[in-house]
Amino acid sequence: MIEQILSNMWYIRPEIALTITCLAAILADVFFKRKALVAGVVLGGLLASGVLLMEQYGVSAPAFSHMLAVDPFSVYFRGVILVTAMFVVLFSLSSVEINNPRLRVGEYYALIVAMTLGMTLMAGSSNMLMMYLSLELTSLSSYILAGFTKNAPASAEASLKYVIFGALSSGLMLYGISILYGLTGSLDIYAINHVLMTMGANRLALLIAGVLIMAGFGYKISAVPFHFWTPDVYEGAPVTITAFLSVASKAAGFSMLMRFMKVTFIDSTFAGPVGTWALIPGFEFTNILIVLSVLTMTLGNLVAVWQKNVKRLLAYSSIAHAGYMLMGLVVLGNDGFAAVLIYFVIYMFMNLGAFFVVMLVSNKTGSEHIDTYKGLGSRAPLLSVAMAIFLVSLTGLPPTAGFIGKLYLFAALINAKMIWLAIVGALNSVVSLYYYVLIFRNMFLREGTGSTEPLKFALSDNIILFLLLIPTLVLGLYFTPLVQFAQYSVAMFGVR
Amino acid sequence: MASYIPIFLMLAAAAGLGIILLTLHQVLGPKHPTEEKLSTYESGMSPIRTARERFSVKYYMVAVLFILFDIEVVFLYPWAVNFRALGVFGYVEMMIFIVILLVGYYYILRKGALKWD
Repeated sequence: MIEQILSNMWYIRPEIALTITCLAAILADVFFKRKALVAGVVLGGLLASGVLLMEQYGVSAPAFSHMLAVDPFSVYFRGVILVTAMFVVLFSLSSVEINNPRLRVGEYYALIVAMTLGMTLMAGSSNMLMMYLSLELTSLSSYILAGFTKNAPASAEASLKYVIFGALSSGLMLYGISILYGLTGSLDIYAINHVLMTMGANRLALLIAGVLIMAGFGYKISAVPFHFWTPDVYEGAPVTITAFLSVASKAAGFSMLMRFMKVTFIDSTFAGPVGTWALIPGFEFTNILIVLSVLTMTLGNLVAVWQKNVKRLLAYSSIAHAGYMLMGLVVLGNDGFAAVLIYFVIYMFMNLGAFFVVMLVSNKTGSEHIDTYKGLGSRAPLLSVAMAIFLVSLTGLPPTAGFIGKLYLFAALINAKMIWLAIVGALNSVVSLYYYVLIFRNMFLREGTGSTEPLKFALSDNIILFLLLIPTLVLGLYFTPLVQFAQYSVAMFGVR
Repeated sequence: MASYIPIFLMLAAAAGLGIILLTLHQVLGPKHPTEEKLSTYESGMSPIRTARERFSVKYYMVAVLFILFDIEVVFLYPWAVNFRALGVFGYVEMMIFIVILLVGYYYILRKGALKWD
């Protein structure tokens, strides 16, 4: 037993590195009280964790008696989460909101690391208990981070709403888990799958359990109808945390949902062509996911049209993007999952980029209202062009990366003969064009009402902007390596 | 479903007994209310003023920190009982656990969470 635990330590080395980083950040803060030093420690720790993660490339094994699965799928998502966390730390260094002298930033960075740790565990969890614990670690850290700017009432409100919704949905999820445990006698998702295949279960009870558990996941990925917290939290939280929640938290939720669905409810003995799956009888989750997906993207896009606060607008846009990605889960097959993985990397760059521009504008003007962007094209040409490219990419138009992401999603749907769902997705993209163009129009075609002085940004800000901008453009033209990596990373431990 | 009938019967009996006893008490019991009897029961003390007052958040801090370190001790007991069986591995693991909590303790000390004034 002890030998097994010791030998399994290798599998959680990235997580151990994150734990040490979290403690080191706290100590660095109380010892030296230098904000830049704490950020440096955190960046170094995230980098070290990333290096340790790379060593796990190509491994596929269970760890700690099936508590965690270390496989290409979890390595891929942990990579996305770590890169996002690094960008968020970089954002935080130049955020005026976070560097307010009245705030203690040491805890802020330590909590970002704690949240990253929770999310990397979510990506690998293959036991319902581990899933719940890592979800709670992520949620508890994000509640505090969402309310970190204590002097802003909107931030406190966001935090409170987040806690209440989080408590409700994790309660629902736990209830679902308990029913599933009662039905199958196990919390290990591989064992649950085995029991469901050999003995089956009561259809109604299984449906209730599945729907309740999905409510927990749906809250994390902000799928309609579990999305109510999203706009308020995204608007109230500091921009850096909004960016973090909209990318990393969603990635972690998706990875957990995908692993749960694929391992638990897919027939592991199905002998069809490689890359196709069959559902085990009793719980047809694809029908639920189709409904969720259509609702999520339609509501997200339609409500975004009326938003006047750019952060809130991007919140609804991120709800819509969760809807697009859910389409990839409906396709029972590797190409659907691969499309989601491709989409996530692209979404990371374009969405972080859009939020970074929002942060830079609010650093200078103190406002996130859409009217602030009037005349920005002449005041900050580079920034405006970058924002335009991110918005075009979020819409999904060539030659940007967003187009490639949508292309693979729609291709997977059409191959699976779900053309009508692809049409719904395409129509939604058209709606989204309207509100993205609103920002575009304000930046380039409207005269500013206030100051017309050019906005100057630090060199470091411009470098971060380019770090996000270049992948958004390059992945639109040269995407083969990403696609191959994603297709390889679909593999999960123990399932075909 | 049939196997659940005894449970439902039990539930019904329990609820019925409760209702019957409370009603009987209301109907048959003698009532001689005085001022002392109607006042709030505070373990024999006469209540001084309202309990719904603001009190310092410091109490809350100390209570939360107490629970944290109290639970640490709870974890130490089973470890101490099985100390020989767990051996060096258990010792190292518990030291890591304690170091993590010590970092937390140092943090609250430096942040002044335990200062009363």
